[in-house]
Amino acid sequence: MSSILDLKEVSKSYDEFKAVDGLSITIPQGSVFGLLGPNGAGKTSSIRMMIGITVPDSGEVSLFGEGFRREHLSQVGYLPEERGLYKRMKIGEVLILFARLKGVSEAEAKRRCKLWLERLELEKWTNSKVEELSKGMQQKVQFIAAILHDPEFLILDEPFSGLDPENSMELKNILLEQKKAGKTILFSTHRMDTVEKLCDSICLVNQGRSVLQGDLKKIKSGYGRSSIQMEYEGAVDFLTDTSLIQSSNNYGNYVEMKMQPGVDAQKLLARAMQTAQIRRFELVEPSLEQIFIDTVKASKVVANHA
Amino acid sequence: MHNTWLIIQREYLERVRSKAFLIFTILVPALMFGLIILPSKLMMMKSAGTHHVVVVSADKDLAQRVVSEITAEKKKEDRTSARSEDQLIAPKYTATVETDLSDSTRAQLNQRIDSDGLDGYLWLTPDVGSTRKVTYYTKNSSDFFETETMRAAVRVALTRSALANSGVKDDEVRDLLKPVSIDTLRVEKGKVSKSGGMLAFLLPMMLMMMIYMTVIIYGVAVMRSVIEEKTSRVMEVLLSSVTAKELMAGKILGVGAVGLTQMLIWVGTGAILGSGVVAAAREMMKDVHLPLAIMVAFPVFFVLGYLLYSSMYAALGAMVNSDEEAQQMQWPVVMPLIACAVFASAVIRQPASPLAFWLSLFPLTSPIIMFVRICVQVPPAWQIALSVGLLVGTIYGMVWLCSRIYRVGILMYGKRPTLPEILKWIKYA
Repeated sequence: MSSILDLKEVSKSYDEFKAVDGLSITIPQGSVFGLLGPNGAGKTSSIRMMIGITVPDSGEVSLFGEGFRREHLSQVGYLPEERGLYKRMKIGEVLILFARLKGVSEAEAKRRCKLWLERLELEKWTNSKVEELSKGMQQKVQFIAAILHDPEFLILDEPFSGLDPENSMELKNILLEQKKAGKTILFSTHRMDTVEKLCDSICLVNQGRSVLQGDLKKIKSGYGRSSIQMEYEGAVDFLTDTSLIQSSNNYGNYVEMKMQPGVDAQKLLARAMQTAQIRRFELVEPSLEQIFIDTVKASKVVANHA
Repeated sequence: MHNTWLIIQREYLERVRSKAFLIFTILVPALMFGLIILPSKLMMMKSAGTHHVVVVSADKDLAQRVVSEITAEKKKEDRTSARSEDQLIAPKYTATVETDLSDSTRAQLNQRIDSDGLDGYLWLTPDVGSTRKVTYYTKNSSDFFETETMRAAVRVALTRSALANSGVKDDEVRDLLKPVSIDTLRVEKGKVSKSGGMLAFLLPMMLMMMIYMTVIIYGVAVMRSVIEEKTSRVMEVLLSSVTAKELMAGKILGVGAVGLTQMLIWVGTGAILGSGVVAAAREMMKDVHLPLAIMVAFPVFFVLGYLLYSSMYAALGAMVNSDEEAQQMQWPVVMPLIACAVFASAVIRQPASPLAFWLSLFPLTSPIIMFVRICVQVPPAWQIALSVGLLVGTIYGMVWLCSRIYRVGILMYGKRPTLPEILKWIKYA
């Protein structure tokens, strides 16, 4: 399988601040890739270099297996984190403009625009100005702008933020269709739950560096079934007992925890039953969120000791 | 190229279709029409009226002379002033003589001003020949044209009676006091051409103001459009398809095309009005001749000036985050333009002075000042060539510089950059 995107040891600084620090990523064709990391980790800076908005200080960017060329950009769709549309333009016009800037002919852009607006139930707004639309509708328009030229490679920065469940579902279905059609998708987000079900592989970045990268299934199985999901009612003060629990994420009546190596799950269950009513107790692979939190914590410790 | 063209189209259509464009395009000529044509029409209407004044003097002979001066129909060739608007508003006068200089006369005249439609009276004391001071009592003391008429009438009457008293014959006196008329002719390359005095000053001034205003208005439009793309974050979407250079070029050319369109509309309207549809406009434009040099220089210097300033405004827009911030940082860009407006009248009066020479070479002022010089007195060809050469070179450098600031600035949010930071942006590859 050839790769759609290759970053090789890419670095970028703004003044003294190192936004991206020797990042290497490979995204195979047809895969769904998650670029994950906390706010300010360098996700957006990395994406900007992938599509030539900025130029890396050092390192190499390749698109579609070749060195970066602007002609490639007509095959890339980009949904930025900060949505941006011309507020005083009509929906139809703004979409056609963006498609034409990607090299689509005017007639073809019009045809596709109509189809997409119908699909996302926006057709009656075609002649409305962007500023007259609700935030959620503007998001959908922005998404159409990213996909209207039928790109091989879709870059989506926080695509689900601000969408209601129904629209999120619709967006997810569209993305699955795209994947089926052989398109490559890059997600950038700090919201793990949405990505977990969609991504084939991930790269976890923190402070401009990759801290964890690879096939999502392999990463998860590598962590083993040392995680426990528990639904309960009552007190769970044992969570602070570091001889049993390595880390935990408590939601009030639902908790995800990671046991210390060598701890017997049965013993933990017995301990939990002393203070709480247990409804469900399951040994699972850790969720991506758990991995994320653990890894970022670990890399912070490393950074602080360095 | 394709992308730049699309950006030009967008910028152009969005503006030309907007209501603001329509309003501005109609309003400016309407205002001009209103400010120039209407008052003169109104004044002509007013001039149909007749003013009645009384001349009070113990010297009946002198009083008669003053009366005949005041009531004399001023013929065109007798104009003592070059200002045509004086003539438009000068009313007809009737005057009578009163020889009794007592307080009761004065009280009576004051009352007539209040109630009997008397417009004013001249009070000539017996020693007026030596003091040369008179008093004009009137309803409307701010009508300085009327005051001037009275003053001139008394002066001429005093001269006439003095000359008559020393034995000069009446027809000799008339010849002596005939005003001298002066024709100002413009000599250029050995050719003599007619050029209306005041209009020769007003026309370059007006054309200069047109360049000045459109450069500022459309320069600011470029800046605001950059700020809008920045704050609405369209920038990032655009930059995933076009380069910063294409974007800046498209914006400057698109907005510039709007400016040219507007000017064409104005000039076209002006040409139609001037061609005789409106008689008043024809009367005004009669003495105006537009040499080919001005017709060529106007679009050339507008385009060059606009390119220079709009690229600066684009860079300025990229540096800031809001219109308010831009207002505060505008002054380095606006200063040279304001200097042009301030020095323009001095340059029109003395187009060959060292001040005019240097301002017309300095690239930040040359688009306006060199144009003004060409309007008034075409400078030597080498000066024009040098001025345009320097300007084009500066535009080239400025566009290069500004596009670098622009490229970095459009992705910078948050605090306003300091000068060292901007210098770093420029160096930044």
